[in-house]
Order: sequence, then structure tokens, then C-alpha cells
Amino acid sequence: MTEERASEEKPYRRLETQTLLQQIAFRHGLEAMQASENGELAWVTSGFPVEIPIAMNLGVVYPEQAGAIIGAQKIGPDVCGFAEDLGYSQDLCSYARASIGSTEKPEEVPMGSLPTPQILLACNNICGTVLRWYDAISEMTGAPVFLLDTPPIEKEQLPHNQEYVRRGVERLIEFIGSHFNRTLEEDRIHEVANLSSKATKLWIRALEACKNKPSPLNCADRFLTMAPVVSSRGTEHCVEFYESFVEEVEERVKNGVGAIRDEKVRLLWDNIPPWHTLRFFNMLASRGVGFPADTYTHAWTGNMVGIDTPSIIDEVVETYSKVYLNMGLDAKVDKMCQLINDYDLDGFVMFSVRSCKRYSLGQLVSKEIVTERTGVPGVIIEGDMVDSRVYNAAQIETRVDALLEMLM
Amino acid sequence: MGIGIDVGSTTTKGVLLDSSGKVVAKSLMLTGASAIQAVEKTLHSISSLSNINLKDIPVISTGYGRARVELAIKSVTEITCHSVGVHHINPNIRLLIDVGGQDAKAIRIGPSGRPEDFELNDKCSAGTGRFLEVMARVLEVSLDDLGPLALQSKKPSSISSTCTVFAESEVIGHIGAGESAADIAAGVHVSMVSKISALSKRVGVQEPVCVTGGVALNPAFVYYLSNQLGTELWVPEDPQLTGALGAAVIALEKKGKTT
Repeated sequence: MTEERASEEKPYRRLETQTLLQQIAFRHGLEAMQASENGELAWVTSGFPVEIPIAMNLGVVYPEQAGAIIGAQKIGPDVCGFAEDLGYSQDLCSYARASIGSTEKPEEVPMGSLPTPQILLACNNICGTVLRWYDAISEMTGAPVFLLDTPPIEKEQLPHNQEYVRRGVERLIEFIGSHFNRTLEEDRIHEVANLSSKATKLWIRALEACKNKPSPLNCADRFLTMAPVVSSRGTEHCVEFYESFVEEVEERVKNGVGAIRDEKVRLLWDNIPPWHTLRFFNMLASRGVGFPADTYTHAWTGNMVGIDTPSIIDEVVETYSKVYLNMGLDAKVDKMCQLINDYDLDGFVMFSVRSCKRYSLGQLVSKEIVTERTGVPGVIIEGDMVDSRVYNAAQIETRVDALLEMLM
Repeated sequence: MGIGIDVGSTTTKGVLLDSSGKVVAKSLMLTGASAIQAVEKTLHSISSLSNINLKDIPVISTGYGRARVELAIKSVTEITCHSVGVHHINPNIRLLIDVGGQDAKAIRIGPSGRPEDFELNDKCSAGTGRFLEVMARVLEVSLDDLGPLALQSKKPSSISSTCTVFAESEVIGHIGAGESAADIAAGVHVSMVSKISALSKRVGVQEPVCVTGGVALNPAFVYYLSNQLGTELWVPEDPQLTGALGAAVIALEKKGKTT
């Protein structure tokens, strides 16, 4: 649809910080390889309280992030296929299939396979699939699995659930301690929590800058720059990255420079993006359509206040029980309405992701409620984040075009 | 004048309007394997029917093949075009249900004739014209005869599956069990209507309701859908042409703006 044009004519602007992002990703990869060689690498789920393994000096990597990279390389169907060859269903989460597939045939997935883990840390605050998925990886690699069980929260977290999660976190510390023969040092966890909190606060600052018109960041920018806050929070270099990033974002705001050249329509994006077709956002950018907010990158705004509270463990329990996907439908609807109002958005696009039932369930109902409460129209499109076989571009285009015809 | 061309998955439609918005010529043919050829033939047909040289008359394209219509000044989705087309003939309509060859849509039309909300079927042929085509073949009747056959039934067979492929084997099971073709045909319509009515209710059933698309020509579909929604359904004279008509209306509007 869009021809390759010189950078200055492209409808969207490239972030200078992207170069730094590549460096940080490269560094993260090297550190993970080193950790694996030293026998101290953990694979963790995206909603895991990563501050604890980091404070206990383990290396960490995220199979979900590897899945996103596999998706972006457009090899999702092949790599998911390796898992399907083992007998896994096409209905299984494509992050899980990509992870199992790349563990089965790492030589076929040079950029997306992760170094061998010594321990697998799963938290079901993002979904229930992670346990079975990590069990499968455990069978393939021999690394033991620890599950941190966080019961879903409808409104407030019940006291007995809070206590239950608290004991889970204590068991986690014991589990890592006995497996690697080390203890969690009080000073170190405070330091890590503090760094994590700093990075998260900077991330929130960048997200909130998108309330400006034009928005300094579009959807694809945030999907890419969220990587460190997901995978490296609790480290110095993560904080450094976000300091540079926020500087660039705020510079754009100061100069009235938008992420896209001619912002006419502002939309909300709901759910994980189609990593294989991020150009979806660029194609819309060429028509003046931007996405100043999305529920996905805003899910990483849980803020650890590392220094002011007496108990880091309580802080961990609070932060990781209340992640976006562990809350009920009401909380999701509230969040979407809040984003639409705060960011002054004209409409919303909900991506119904075949893989992610936890995220996509309830979208039909919430679409109605969000429109009722905010007065802006929305549309549901279907597909998958990694497996492009279930992404029908023509159907998606018709739905999104129809939404835009209602707005423009 | 203005031309609208609707390149659908099954048929390609064309409408030529005069400057007062009256239909001068219309055309409908199978899309076949080449959308480009179907468009050429459609233009040719409209031109010879009206005896008018179409040069310089603005064209708006719509339908799944809308990007294939090179001479169109703009392509507009079938969702907007159907709304505008139906509004052009009956401005009172508030809910439009369009059932074509490969998709089904429920569209809430605002007072200005533009869509306010819409729902489309998922990636599945159940609830579309294709579903009826497959079932007609299994029952060995023509598509045109399927509806009248179903209306003879007093006790529609139960078809639980909403998947075209599984429903086909269910129908074959009913045939084996000796159920009448009329009852099975009626069951097929009831099953299809249940999907379409769910889609419509999601958008909100606001009367008066209009049905368009090729499937609107099927009397059993209209009968069962009307029962299911508990409302009368209005079917325009050429229910397959409303998308192309809407596109032609938009072409006229565009022309008005530029002259």
C-alpha cells in the first residue's frame, strides 16, 4: 500500500532512541547467554515479580518477548508449526507454541530461541496457560518450574488471597535460595525495587506525554520501546535508557513534533499487537490516524515504590496481583474509558487475539459499554499476535476503514 | 451523474445515477476469477444500457474488490455504501442487515444516512450466502428453490452446528434418517438466522429494519429472520444493488462538491 519513501517523507517519524534500544537488546542477549553458561538463567513470564530473581543475581529472559521477535520476523507460522508437529493444537497460545517450537528446533530460529534455562518462573497473573507451557519447557530442558499463583481480583483483593500470594512470594525466595544456594539480601532488593520503580515512573511519564496533540509516540513506537521496562526493569541500564527516551519524547512535545506527520484522528488500541504486521499502524499513519494510547503498554505501569514502604514483599504482592489482566472485566472497561477521556481519543480498535483468551474474552460486551460511556465508536478486528495464518488483512481493512469513515 | 461499482465476493454490481439521483442503468453479474474483468464488463453493460458515454462521470468503488477498480476516484467500504444506498431509497431505516456471499453485516444507520455502529460475521461462512449454497447442493435443489422448499415445512429439522462443514454432515445425517427435504431446508434457514439475529441484536434492533444482499431474495430467510427478531422486514426492490447505489450516491455528492 505504501511505497518505500525517503525517511523525511514517511508519514511517521523514527525515534532516535531506537538505536539505543537495539544496543540494550543486544546487551540483554549477551548477558542472558553468559548467565546460562554460568548456570543461573531464569525464564520468566511477563507479569512475574522479576525484581526478586534479579536481586538474587539471576539472569532473566522472557519467552513472550522472544515470541514477539519471532512474530516480527514473520516466521511465526513456521516456528509455531514445530510445536504443532509435536502435537500441540493450533488453538494454543502462539507465544507458547513459538516458545515450545523454538526450544524444539533452536537451530531453525537463530534470533528467537533463548539460551537454556536453569529455572522457570511462571506467574499466572497474565493467564493460566503459562503453567502448562512452562511444564512443557521443563520437560524439554530439565529446568524446574516455580508457579506463583495469584488469584484473579474482581474488585478488591481479599485478605486471605493477599496472605496466600504473600506466602507464595516467600516460597519463591526459598525456592531460588535452595536451588542456587543463596539468600535475598535486604539492601539488594531495595536497590533493585528502587531501580524498577524509577524505570516504571519514566515509562509512565513517556506514556502520559501522549496526551499532547499531536502525540509524540504512536502505537508501534510504544510496542518497541516497552521492551526494557518488561525485560530489564530493576537494572541501571534500563533506567538510563528511559532517561534518554523521555528526553526525546519531551523534546518532541516541546517542539510540537508528532509521531506521525499529520495527526487527524486519535484512536485507542486494545490488546497485544500483531507483531507480524506492525506496518498496520504505519499504513494508518499515512492517512493521519494515530494511536496515542493502548491498553497493552499501559499494563506495565504498575509502580514499585521501593524505598518508602516497610515491606518489599507486601509491595510485590500488591503490584503483581493487580496487573491489568488479573483484574475483572469492569476494571478493563474502566481503564479503556479512562484512556479515551484522558487522551482525548476519537474511537477505539479492539484486536481480538485468538491466542490470548484472557485478554480477548469479553471484548464484545466491553465494546458496547465503552461506547455507551464515552460516546466514541469502536471496532473489533480478529487475528493473532504471532501466527499470521489467522490474520485476514482484507477483513481487517474493511472493518477499520468503516470505523474511519464514521470519524472522518 | 455518478457511478457506483460494488465488487463483491460472488457478484459485481454497477449503478448509474442521473444528477437528480434517479437510477439510469444497473448491472449485476458474477465476479468470477477476475475482478478487473468483471468491472470492465459492468461498465460496458451500464454504458450500453443507458447509451451514455461514461467518460468523465465520477466512479466510487466498494466491496471486497474495491481496490481493483482503477478508475474510481475513491473507494469506500460496503458498510458505508449500503447505509447510504438504503437511506437513499428509504430514509426511515435504522437497522440494515446485509447478507452477501461471504459476509453478513448488521449496521445501525444514523439520521444522516451514515453508519453509527456495525458488526460483521467472524471468519466463518456460517450465516452467509455461501452456507445456503452448500446446503442447496447437498439437498439437490437450486439455490432459488431452497427458500420456497423450506417454507413448505411444518417442523424444521434441528441443525445444531453453526459450522458450514459440520452442518453439512449433520444434514446428510438427517437425509439418512429419512427427514423430508423441506424440513431439512427449513432447519438450515433457522440455523443461519440464529447467527444473523445474534449479530443484529448486538447492534440493537431499531425499527424499521431492512434486509439487503443476495440472501434477501430468499423468502424463507426473510420469514424466519422476521420471526426471530419479532419485527417486519423491509426488502428493497433490488436488494443486491444497494451497495452500488450507495457508492453512486457518494459519487454524486463528490461531483457536487467539485463543481
